[in-house]
This record gives sequence, C-alpha cells and structure tokens, in this order.
Amino acid sequence: MDFRPSRLAVVANCVEAFIREFFDQNPLSHLGIITIRNGIASRLTDLSGSPEAHIKVLRGNLECAGDASIQNALDLSRSFLCQVPTYGHREVMLIFSALGTCDPGDVLESVRNCKEENIRCSVVGVAAEIYICKLLCEKTGGIYSVAMNEAHLKELVLEHVAPPPALAEAAVASLVKMGFPQRGAEGTIALCACHREVKIGGGYTCPRCKARVCELPTECFICGLTLVSSPHLARSYHHLFPVPVFEEVPLDAKFSGIQELSKVCYGCQQLLPLAGSKVTGVRLVCPRCNKHFCFDCDVYIHESLHNCPGCESFCEPQT
Amino acid sequence: MDILNNIESSVGNKHLLLYIMWDLADDVSLVIVVVDVNPYFWVEKANASTGTSDIDFEQFLQHVLAFMNAILLLNHMNYLAVIATGSDSCSFLYESLAGESVSDGEGKPPSKRMNKHHTPSAKIVRGLKDFVSKELAFKTERKDNGKRYSLLSGSLSMALCYVQRILRQDPPHPHPRILCFQGSPDASQQYIAVMNAIFSAQRLMVPIDSCMVGSQHSAFLQQAAHITGGIYMKPPHPEGLFEYLMMVFATDLHSRRFLQLPRPTGVDFRASCFCHKKTIDTGFVCSVCLSIFCKHHKECSTCGASFSQNKSSFVTGQKRKLSTN
Repeated sequence: MDFRPSRLAVVANCVEAFIREFFDQNPLSHLGIITIRNGIASRLTDLSGSPEAHIKVLRGNLECAGDASIQNALDLSRSFLCQVPTYGHREVMLIFSALGTCDPGDVLESVRNCKEENIRCSVVGVAAEIYICKLLCEKTGGIYSVAMNEAHLKELVLEHVAPPPALAEAAVASLVKMGFPQRGAEGTIALCACHREVKIGGGYTCPRCKARVCELPTECFICGLTLVSSPHLARSYHHLFPVPVFEEVPLDAKFSGIQELSKVCYGCQQLLPLAGSKVTGVRLVCPRCNKHFCFDCDVYIHESLHNCPGCESFCEPQT
Repeated sequence: MDILNNIESSVGNKHLLLYIMWDLADDVSLVIVVVDVNPYFWVEKANASTGTSDIDFEQFLQHVLAFMNAILLLNHMNYLAVIATGSDSCSFLYESLAGESVSDGEGKPPSKRMNKHHTPSAKIVRGLKDFVSKELAFKTERKDNGKRYSLLSGSLSMALCYVQRILRQDPPHPHPRILCFQGSPDASQQYIAVMNAIFSAQRLMVPIDSCMVGSQHSAFLQQAAHITGGIYMKPPHPEGLFEYLMMVFATDLHSRRFLQLPRPTGVDFRASCFCHKKTIDTGFVCSVCLSIFCKHHKECSTCGASFSQNKSSFVTGQKRKLSTN
C-alpha cells in the first residue's frame, strides 16, 4: 500500500488544495513555502498573500533528492517568522515523509527556540510515526498526525486550514491601521504600482497615497498601508460567532401543548422522520431557536453556511 | 469508469462527456425568488407614493406572479421556489418540486391540477395570505409597534439550504440561482449573517441577483452581486417592472453571456466603523476579533481586548524590515 502515482505527486496535490482553501478561509493571512532537499532547507516562496503565485512556483519545483533535516527547516522558518508582528499568529506545518532526520547540530535546541518564539509547529506524516516529530509537536502545542492513505492525507492536511484557538496571553491585542480602497470606475487609466504598467479600468486606489493596486488584500507598494476590503474581514467573522451544535431529537418525543413536531426540515423543506412514518433518518434541533433540521442541512450549516436559518429568521423583540 | 475510458478514446474529451452525462441541458434552471413582504416598508411606500411612477404591493405582486409563470413556461424542467421575507419570520410559499412528488399519498388526479385553484399563482397567493396572518399573530403577541427591518439573512440561508437539497439529489441537476426582491433598507445587525450567506453562495457557484423595488440602494446586495457574479438592478421606472424582469432576470445562466445586461455601477467595498456606523477610508482593526474602529481606542468594544500596553506595534507593517525590539 503506497501513494499513487507517487508520494510527491499526491503531496503536491494536497498542498495545492491546502493553499486554495487556506486563503479562502483566512484571506488576511500570509503563507510561505520551504523545501528540504539533500539535507538543505531552501525558500521556495516568500511570505505573501497570493495563492496563484505560490501554486505556480510549487508546480515548477517538484523534484526530490536526499535526506531531510528538521533542524534546518525549523531554523529557516524561524528566520522568516520573526518578521511577523506580535499580534500575528506564527505557525509551521511540516509534511514529512522521511523516517529520520539528518541534522548538523542539536535538533532539540531548534525545538526549544521555536517554543520560546511562540511558533506552533504541526506535522503531517506520510510514512510512519517518528519520535522527534511527536516531541516537536508536543513541545510547541501543534498537532501530529500520520496518514494512512491518500484520502486520509488530504483530510489531515485540510484540518490545519481553520485557525487554531489562541491563548489570551500569547496573542497580544493591538490595533492595526488598515485602508479600505474604493474600486476604480471602468475606463480610468492609471499606472499600477504592483506591475509598473499602464492599466485601464478596475483597480483600487490607496486612500493614503493614492497609488493604484490591482488586487486585494495587499500592502500598498508605495506607503506600506495594509489594504483590505470589508468582505475579507467578514470572511473571518464566522469563527467568532459560531452556530451552536444541534442536538438530536428522539423520535418518540412529543412537545406537550406548545407545538407539534414539524413535518419538514426548516431549512430545505424535506420530510423529517416522525414516529410511525416511513421516512428514516435523524431529526436535529437548534438549541437557540428550537427549529428542526435534517442531517444534511446540519452538516451544511456547520461546515459552509455558518448561519442557522431558524435563528436568522427570528427577530428578537426590542427591549 | 471503464466505460468512460473506452468512450474517451473515441470521443477524445472526458470532461465534455462527463458534462453531457451528468448535467442537464444548459438552460434548465432552479430559480429561488426571495420576496420582501415587510409590511412596514410597503405601507410607508404606499403613503409616500408620488403618483403613477410608483407601484403598490398589489401591482408589484401581479408583475412578479406573471414573471414566475414565465419562468415555468420557458422550460418544462425549470424548478421554482418562493420564499417570503417578513419582519418577524420567513417561510417558503411555494415549491414547484413538491407538486410533482407524491407525499403522504396525496397525489391529485390530473383534472384537479388543471383547476384554477391549483395553479402556481393561486398557491403562492394562498401561501402569502397564510404568511401574513402568521406575521400579524406575532405582532399582536408582542404588542410591539417599533419599526422593523426585513430578515434577509434568514431567507438567504433557507434558499441556500434548499439549493443544497436539490444538488444532493441524483444527477442531472438544474443550474440554481437566487433572485431577491428587496425594498427595505439594509440592517447593520445582519451584516455578518448576510456575508456568510454570500460566501457560501460563492462556493456553491449560485449567483444572487437583486431587483430593488424601494427608493434606496442596498450595499449588501451590491456586494452579493459582485462576489457571486449576479446582476444588481434598480429599475428606474417601476411601473414597467415586468419588462425589466423578462429582459434581465428571466434568462438562464448559460445564455447570459450573449446578452447586454446592466453593468455594475460601482460597488462600495468600504467598511463602516463599529462605533459610529459611518463609512471610512482608513480605520483601525482589532487584531483579535477584526472589528473596525475609526480612531484609536483603549479597548475593543466587541471582544474586550485592551490595546494600551502595545502602542509600539500600531505602526503600519513595513515590508521586509526586522522588528527592532
């Protein structure tokens, strides 16, 4: 049992899917790629926020050779991550297929340094469980998992897309100045600051220095102001206000007096199981609004929609 | 998949073959119409009406019912669902899917289906009457006469759950889209829920079209149209609403490429600050909860994080410079 057509191809596909999903869930974050080849760690891409740039470079650089060195990888990652401001969360994810590490010095010292700098290291193993990876993850607070097959590997890699819970002491709060540019009208002609070419139509104007940039989110190339649009911030709001977990309703439950059990799912109007009917399945209830949902709506609401239709369709009386 | 491999070598394009096998023809649609029936908005509109260049709810409903019948006539496999958005609740008024399946053994004989009481329009109007009487019951229970916004986020969420249900059924699937008739102003309390619905629609590739029947524009629906690839329109002459609907919103998604549709006039992506609700060009964002403020505060009002001890890091990010402390 091994990964087909080759481990590298499978891992490359998983990394590409991870990059797309990561920027979809965390549009304000930055990501960089480091490769370990022949015991040397080298930077493939810098920390940046554009998924296409990363994927293009990744696809052009798929060769494997030699040993892996965890110490070199961790040291190089630390040198990049120390530039991240204090309010940012620093993480390293290592996709490791070797069965050991070949280091020039003491790898445990690198692990200690990572822990001191608050870098959370997680490892997704492709081959077998290795003690040093387990130790690294335990010391820095990351997650170590080993894949059993291709589908499991993808699942484990995509588990790291959602932001991990942060300790209040570790995450220092600060106010970050950001600009919200307006989109230019069709037909305006301007020199764009990112490609240094003349562009017609579209584009965004930095509110501080009036330079034109092509896409958001980015940092203004002239004055350094972080430019975002409000949907980018809104994409992360669902992590702050999650939908409560729905509870299962036993089929023989009866509401005394106030209401009968509804026949259809509140979200999709599909028939729900009822005592004595031919429909099979489970019936779930939202603890806040007491509306009933089917299993598929429950999965969709919690994984993709992040809104409970029942809670949103109910207006709280103004006090 | 072996059959596909054999045919692939002769057809030469596996993707084309899969498309033919698993998708219906390009022009079959599932249209979910979300209608704003907020009584506060419609009554205010009727009172402020400036003569013949405006429509009241009854005329609006006639235009919309004719449009919905037209959708069902354009292709015999088109599906339609109607959701009403009130100020206290939202509910489904009509699903064309439900009439076809036999539920609880209630299949009607063909002669009854031709009866005028069982046409889609009649069913929608009946559903609407039930909905409005339930809304009135809510109000008399609460004895509250305050002004209310319409619950757009609830209707969009229900519409997306319904789309998911249709996409879960056996292939081939119709191409879904959502059309919102909105008149009430945007409610800032619903911003997060509406944005969640928009992002989910973007992932499902469901365009959200909007037709504004009120006097003001809606920033939420403009952003929805921009992000999901839908059409946003505010008809300048609402008394001819049916013409606008047929020319712009009736065509299926595939044919939209060949039409000259209303161009987006400019989407306002600026954020509004949480403290004063005014739109700002530059602001300060809390690093913990991402709430936006227009000036420097000592504490975040949303999550309670205090900022006073860390003034040094409120300088804007400088690219590729190591931190000096």
